[in-house]
Amino acid sequence: MTGPIADAFEIEALVTDRYLDTLLAGRPDVAALPGSGGATDVADDPDGLTAAVRAISRRLATDLPRFHPSFRFEERLALRLAELAASMRLPVAAGGEGQPIPIRALQPLPDLEPESPDAASDDRRPLLIGGAVAASAISLAGAWLAWRDRRRRVT
Amino acid sequence: MARRALWRVGGAESPARIAHLDRDRPLVEAAKRDPAQFDALYRRYLARVYSYAYYELGNHHAAEDATAATFLAALSNLPRFEERARPADGEGASTFRVWLFQIARNEVAAERRRARRRPTAPLEGALTIADPLDVQADAERLDDARAAWQAVGRLPEDRRQAIVLRFVDELSTAEIAGVLGRTEGAVRVLIHRALRAVAGDLSRPE
Repeated sequence: MTGPIADAFEIEALVTDRYLDTLLAGRPDVAALPGSGGATDVADDPDGLTAAVRAISRRLATDLPRFHPSFRFEERLALRLAELAASMRLPVAAGGEGQPIPIRALQPLPDLEPESPDAASDDRRPLLIGGAVAASAISLAGAWLAWRDRRRRVT
Repeated sequence: MARRALWRVGGAESPARIAHLDRDRPLVEAAKRDPAQFDALYRRYLARVYSYAYYELGNHHAAEDATAATFLAALSNLPRFEERARPADGEGASTFRVWLFQIARNEVAAERRRARRRPTAPLEGALTIADPLDVQADAERLDDARAAWQAVGRLPEDRRQAIVLRFVDELSTAEIAGVLGRTEGAVRVLIHRALRAVAGDLSRPE
């Protein structure tokens, strides 16, 4: 279809669309629209086409039912959706959507900075020694000093 | 077995015909904050998505599979969904609905491909498996409904989808355009042609 015929058809389709808007919105003024029945239809629409389209529109609006699935299916699917929703919430609860924090190299606190590079190199302390090991080492050193001091006094 | 929804399209007990933008947006935002809140959207759209799948597939089990796949995919992808509809887009504009039915359309197509390997009940047979209330319904009216349904079932796929989305799922023309990936004008013409074809089909003596 081209030209005026196509235009006329599109206009007809537009008018039908407006009619359907009114019809499906359940507005009471649908009965007053042209083509909704009555004597004016014949004059407005000599070939009866528009009236037929509107009549079938009213019929489909009434006769095409909407179906609902069984309650059993409804609840079974609701359960599956709830399980999916729970699995979607889990990463959020565990911090899965948080921004990763870059780990920076540890810097010594200013107060603990060695006074000179030599002093730093003289630090022979092991880096990672548990408190118990360190405490044992101190105890052994103290015992050795006390033993040596007592021995000197004896000799 | 499918049961008929308590409300009917065009019935007096029908809820608001046009879903306002503000009806979906708070639910979508709540579901994005807490996925468990998706349940409200699920309950709101279950019958519509199921109906769409049922009309398209004509089989209860296939419709259930497509419906389940639609909502599971929607929930999984909800964090990436963005509501883009504005009040200026119209009273019923909601990109969530369009997005949901786009998923449903894809799932129906996938289900149809799977279903080629197994027999399916014809669409017109579905009226006979509605709830017991139908037994008490007026026989003439039931015949009318069956005839209308059969006529819609005979339409080419794109016209049938447009009719079901418009009349059963109550989507606006703009929304259907979004679902089908066409322009609004093309959808208007599609629906108008479909109505003419159904009218011609039903007026033809059997």
